[in-house]
Amino acid sequence: MVTPAEATPLLRVHGLKKSFGQVQALRAGNLAVNRREVVAIVGDNGAGKSTFISCIAGALRPDAGEVVLNGTPLELGSIHAAMRAGIATVYQDLAMAPDLSVAENIFLSTEIRRGGIAGRLGLVDHKAMRARAAALMDELGITTLTDVSAAAGSLSGGQRQVVAVARAVSRAGQLIILDEPTAALGARQSQIVLDTIHSMRERGLGVVLISHDLPHVLEVADRVVVMRFGRVVADVAPQGQTVRTIVSLMLGDESAAKESAAS
Amino acid sequence: MTPVDVRTGPAPEPGPLRPRPAASKPRPWEMVRRWRIFRSTTSYVACAVVALALVFTILTAGNFLNVTNLQSIGRNSAGLMLLAAGLAFVLGAGHIDLSVGATLVLSSVVSAKVTVALAPSAGAGWAIVVGAVCGVLAGAAMGLLNGLLVTRLRINSFVVTLGTMGVGIGLAQVITNGSNVIGLPTVIQRGFGVANWFSIPRPLLLAFVVSAVAAGVLAHTVFGRQALATGSSQAGARRAGVKVDRTTIGVFVVAGTMAGLAGFLDITRFGTTAISGHETTMLQALSAVIIGGTSLFGGRASVLGAMVATFVSTVLLAGFVMIGVSSFYQRIAIGVVLIIAVWVDRLRQARAVMT
Repeated sequence: MVTPAEATPLLRVHGLKKSFGQVQALRAGNLAVNRREVVAIVGDNGAGKSTFISCIAGALRPDAGEVVLNGTPLELGSIHAAMRAGIATVYQDLAMAPDLSVAENIFLSTEIRRGGIAGRLGLVDHKAMRARAAALMDELGITTLTDVSAAAGSLSGGQRQVVAVARAVSRAGQLIILDEPTAALGARQSQIVLDTIHSMRERGLGVVLISHDLPHVLEVADRVVVMRFGRVVADVAPQGQTVRTIVSLMLGDESAAKESAAS
Repeated sequence: MTPVDVRTGPAPEPGPLRPRPAASKPRPWEMVRRWRIFRSTTSYVACAVVALALVFTILTAGNFLNVTNLQSIGRNSAGLMLLAAGLAFVLGAGHIDLSVGATLVLSSVVSAKVTVALAPSAGAGWAIVVGAVCGVLAGAAMGLLNGLLVTRLRINSFVVTLGTMGVGIGLAQVITNGSNVIGLPTVIQRGFGVANWFSIPRPLLLAFVVSAVAAGVLAHTVFGRQALATGSSQAGARRAGVKVDRTTIGVFVVAGTMAGLAGFLDITRFGTTAISGHETTMLQALSAVIIGGTSLFGGRASVLGAMVATFVSTVLLAGFVMIGVSSFYQRIAIGVVLIIAVWVDRLRQARAVMT
């Protein structure tokens, strides 16, 4: 819960709405995220989670509402505005170019240029991008991916997911949003991602995490936001919650949830 | 969703940090990989061109290899090489440009008209230079038009460029009233179009240099990499922060500019325009790009491969002429080559998906 002491959160999202034709995917998207806080968004399939974070990240233009970062309203529907403001996102489909290398994907749109005139002419420094990508992998403790010049499309689903997380980590200045970052991961890689989430929080960033893996959520989240039918319907602390109580919140069986939360 | 993945590598080591051998050093496997890419496309095509030439040499009892014939092949290839290099950008970005042949014709007409108009007052030299610049600009404008239509109106590039193909040829005919522009200064041929530099046709040399620069742009610049990213996954590239629309317009402008320069080369060769002489030019360029290793599905493109593959159709045509095959069959041959090229691309694509 937002206490008065944290009255100006890092991210404040209010009244986001988004329809696709007849379908109201997002009816009431409200969220506040503080610095050094991991907020998990949970909900059943079709609850509007991905639409919600896509609107925050600028990948979708919401029909109504506002997104405020550090007290400044963001231009809605602009990926570049969100990126410039320091929001980095790991999308569920990872947003990769399969034909490009891992290093090129990590630096896609933030390419490292050569020095001097060559750089001003747009020449990229392949060597520096490979070196920095490899260093990033080391930093995150990713040992299963040794060749950063391999095409992203040649990687396994898990490796690709780790690369997407690494890319977001390297770009996030204020807030990192992760949509199902552990969906295709084995136990060891999942742990790397959870450790990364912890270390992002330690660095003072805000973290928004969408996950179906409720044990993970209860482990890493400082707050759990529950969505149902396009609305944020609950915002609870994970302490005292169990997978069962969260599921009942997700499904709308609120009386059961309140009961168990009170007990 | 991908199933839980456990085959991400040989037995993951427990330590969180494993020192990596200095990452900036060129690693042996990277060299091998590059070499392999080189081997699998560009040099295979080069071998095919040499093999074709050998076949025709045998069939013509050596006549095929005479210098005049080879220079003529080179002159035929110059404009085609530029078109193919430009098309590699468009295809790499996941689009197609059917209008490059028409753009070539329109640019040649603009170039010729300007040159003829200026020659009496400004002198042949300056008139030709200004004419060339105007031709290239006309090509760039056609490319810009294509790019804007594709990105602003969200119309499929196949349809857009099919339309602008008609517009380009039509405009060329309107400007000239249907008859080819004559009266160009003869120095345009003597000094450049049919002139050589150490036996190498000058237009081919120019096309080679410009295309080589284009190859560098595609492989080593932000624009080039983002163009391929766009072709590889437009949605992915957009959300990774690539300005997809600007990049898309850019690749069409590159293709148009190259076609514009090819249009200028065209008038230097014949000393006149060839409005109705480019019906198969676009097909030839398209098959060269695809044979050269550029994917029709976007994401992968090789300007170098396209440059080499340009010679497939020009050698084929020159050979046919020498062994006396009618020009009607030449068109069939170009069509067949294009279809085979696309088929090979499909096979490559299927293999890439499997691995």
